[in-house]
Amino acid sequence: MLKRLTMAGVLALGLGAGTALAEPAKVMIPANPGGGWDGAGRHTMAAFAQSKVFTDGASFTNKGGAAGTIGLAEFVRTAKGDDNALLVTGVIMVGGVITNQTPVSLKDTTPLLRLTNEYNAIAVPANSPIKTPADFIAALKADPGALSVGGGSAGGADHVMLALLAKHAGAPVGKINFVAFSGGEILAALGGGKIKAAISGASEFRAFAESGRIRIIATSGPTRVEGLNAPTLKEAGIPVEVGNWRGFVGAPGMSDAAKKTWLDRFAKLHATKEWKETLKTQGWEDAYLPGDAFDAFLKSEDANWTSALKEVGILK
Amino acid sequence: MDILNQLLGGFAVALQPMNLFWAFVGCGLGTAVGVLPGIGPALTIALLLPVTAQVNPASAFIMFAGILYGALYGGSTTSILLNTPGESGSVMTALEGNRMARRGRGAAALATAAIGSFVAGTIGTLALTFLAPAIAELAFVFGPEDYFALMILSFTSVAVVMGRSMVRGFAALFFGLALGTIGIDTQTGQTRMVFGTLELLDGIPFTVVLVSLFAIGETLYVASRSGAAPAAINPLSGGSWMTKQDWKRSWKPWLRGSVIGFPIGALPAGGTEIPTFLSYALERRLTPHPEEFGQGAIEGVAGPEAANNAAAAGILVPLLTLGLPSTATAAVLLAAFQNYGLQPGPLLFATNPDLLWGLIASLYIGNVILLILNLPLVGIWVRLLLIPRQYIYGGIVVFAMVGVWGLSTSWMDLALMCGLGLVGYVARVHDFPIAPTLIGLILGPQAEIQLRRALAVSQNDWSVLVGTPIAATLLGIAALVLIVPPLLARLRRRASAEEEPATSAGRAG
Amino acid sequence: MSSMKNGSATAGGGRRAAWWLGLAILVMGAVWLNGARSIASTTNYVGLGPSAIVLAVGLGLVLLGFLLIVQALKGQLAPPSEDEEEAPFSRPAFLMALAGVGVPLLTIRWLGFPFSAMLAFTLVTHAFGSRRTLLDLGIGALIASLAWLGFSRLGISLGPFFPLLG
Repeated sequence: MLKRLTMAGVLALGLGAGTALAEPAKVMIPANPGGGWDGAGRHTMAAFAQSKVFTDGASFTNKGGAAGTIGLAEFVRTAKGDDNALLVTGVIMVGGVITNQTPVSLKDTTPLLRLTNEYNAIAVPANSPIKTPADFIAALKADPGALSVGGGSAGGADHVMLALLAKHAGAPVGKINFVAFSGGEILAALGGGKIKAAISGASEFRAFAESGRIRIIATSGPTRVEGLNAPTLKEAGIPVEVGNWRGFVGAPGMSDAAKKTWLDRFAKLHATKEWKETLKTQGWEDAYLPGDAFDAFLKSEDANWTSALKEVGILK
Repeated sequence: MDILNQLLGGFAVALQPMNLFWAFVGCGLGTAVGVLPGIGPALTIALLLPVTAQVNPASAFIMFAGILYGALYGGSTTSILLNTPGESGSVMTALEGNRMARRGRGAAALATAAIGSFVAGTIGTLALTFLAPAIAELAFVFGPEDYFALMILSFTSVAVVMGRSMVRGFAALFFGLALGTIGIDTQTGQTRMVFGTLELLDGIPFTVVLVSLFAIGETLYVASRSGAAPAAINPLSGGSWMTKQDWKRSWKPWLRGSVIGFPIGALPAGGTEIPTFLSYALERRLTPHPEEFGQGAIEGVAGPEAANNAAAAGILVPLLTLGLPSTATAAVLLAAFQNYGLQPGPLLFATNPDLLWGLIASLYIGNVILLILNLPLVGIWVRLLLIPRQYIYGGIVVFAMVGVWGLSTSWMDLALMCGLGLVGYVARVHDFPIAPTLIGLILGPQAEIQLRRALAVSQNDWSVLVGTPIAATLLGIAALVLIVPPLLARLRRRASAEEEPATSAGRAG
Repeated sequence: MSSMKNGSATAGGGRRAAWWLGLAILVMGAVWLNGARSIASTTNYVGLGPSAIVLAVGLGLVLLGFLLIVQALKGQLAPPSEDEEEAPFSRPAFLMALAGVGVPLLTIRWLGFPFSAMLAFTLVTHAFGSRRTLLDLGIGALIASLAWLGFSRLGISLGPFFPLLG
């Protein structure tokens, strides 16, 4: 609902002890409170405070809307040259910039790093004849229209993953039957057998899979998700890797010194046990990718998404 | 008996002094945010999430439950007294409630809303306690075509709020439907009717439309016609309390509202608004005083308010039994559970019975607290109307600005407030009803999404829309609702041509 | 788009048959029909496309606008509701209240929420006939500042207190 709120000092639990820039970080969260980006921003800053890596506190501004691009535009406009301004970002924003054709993009910021990932999973109703990734690919190939697959909003990571799977199956991408859901409705629809399969974050499916209402047949990361008895797509010989990664970028024109300071801080944070604890409680995969490697990663994501969105017909 | 024992254990948790204190805090906060436009329980709980780091889970959830219920109690107040509903669930309450207030019956309207909320909240909580696992299964039975049929049935309730002219009523409805099409289409990702504006990609916020059409439109209207004698309403002229007659007319709507509200609230795509529409329509059909509807009929307040609260209890069913969030508030509550490393669902009843049963027991206690808080407040609230009007309406504009500007500090939202406020004013002057616009804005996008999901899954086989027993039945009822009353009215008119033609015409509308 | 419906300040008139309202609805319908035409029809979607509903809504609005115009010209638009104790329409009061609602559009970026809300409050009280400007400004400033402070404490940002000061 409310797209913007600031919560200065809530996490300013640090007890002085000034590091390089003894000022609180100004974190822009390009989404409403309660969602994934909100959690990524707040829990990361909380881990900074708990691990005493960065104890100057943080203030948050939530500005949601249009796949994070409204927050991005606001960040580029207001934070220029601010060495303490950070923006939470992620794969959804990469897609949003492309589909909304916004005048500003992540190129206008100072990329810092990728921090976490949440891999997708494919799930089917418990009594579905589809039991393996190969079954899924076969069904997709046989009649893509008949295989209704639920997921998050159109043009998101779930939709793109289905498109990539169809491409691998040799099925016409234009014929896939992607049905968009929001919130918990997708679980009810899948558990009730209203749709044939669903693609969403692995953690979202976990509880329902444990109670036996649905079955997870594959996950989309490079390695298996701990505690889930499902193969990766890679193991099944399907070269599709889609994850809902999240990370941070700095303000446009952030000084090189400040960029280095922040990357050092994140590197220190990444090594602490407090951070490992945060990853575990939040169900995030560690996907630490700092600096230049992140720059290259952003470029390849941009290219992948542009072509995938064209193929699913969202981008003309 | 197992459930009873566990519930007693829950009461032992909820009645601890510290937890009672948190219940009071939650109820008070909830009532306050319910009164303010645009600030609802979802946001309030989201803002308080950091608290979960310092408080034990049982206390935190007891407070959140108080906020959830409290917001519903508070939401009716401004609807009734000032014709400015603060939440979507109290739009229907404004229709009859504000008419009652204008006739000096504001206290009775507030009382029936508060007591109805208590009755429905308690019935809903009882149903949650004893029927939750069974009701939760409904979530898996309902498919897109069934939801679509439910929406169509809700649309038929629009007919009864059309006012005197069908053409105007439909114009208002279509205006709302048109606003609902603005933004990114979730099913295909295409932008629709955004006129190249990034701010419109997520659609027009419902709060902005609600606040503008009601609060701003009302302010402009009253201001432009305040010149002559100030029409002072004595808030107590109709008695400060419900009469025996009021009780007699209220208790059935309370019960009916509860019965409609709880199961629909328990559906993943049900929500709290649809039950209020259905309840209002039902009460209008069943009332022995049809001539009073539109002039301040107490049934029209009692029913929707009860439906609203029972639905709120219903929302907790899929959340607690399946871990399925069905509304924004439920999603935030789920996030709160996860902050404690808890995953709601059947397992949680086994692993954390104290927490869950404490939460459920606190719902009973919260309802009692809210009744005790709200009934004495009725007398204070109605005296609000004794404040000079310029200050009441000046204050309304300031708080409308808080609700709209606070959304995302967006200039566009303020501009929309101004434009839609004018629309609300024009509607008022030219006798267009406002409720159909809001119903169109709420139901239109939902009905569209469910229809398109049903057709996508069936690969454009339209027969799927009547393909399940639930969908066929609901659509059948919708058809009957549309056809039967005019037929009956015609028969009745023929039978007694000279008796009360106005009544039958009114019901046919 | 929304402003399209109200047309201009002629909104102030009485409850005479208003053919221009029908015209406004008709124009809005035309805008939606045109919009439906320009929504890319995705062939890549199995179910009903994104433009179908926009098209239906546009058609409905055009039809209703047409009916409203016909009714207005026939003089059929209903008489005023009888239950209001009506005071006559006052144009200055209406414009004053409208200014109160509109003035934050001009000021909120420069003066911030508290001052804009204070101005809005004062203009609205004046629309209701109050002439104690200083008192109203004071009450407005008090309510607006309290709201700003209270909501900031709750965590809802209403923007900077006074943007001109940075």
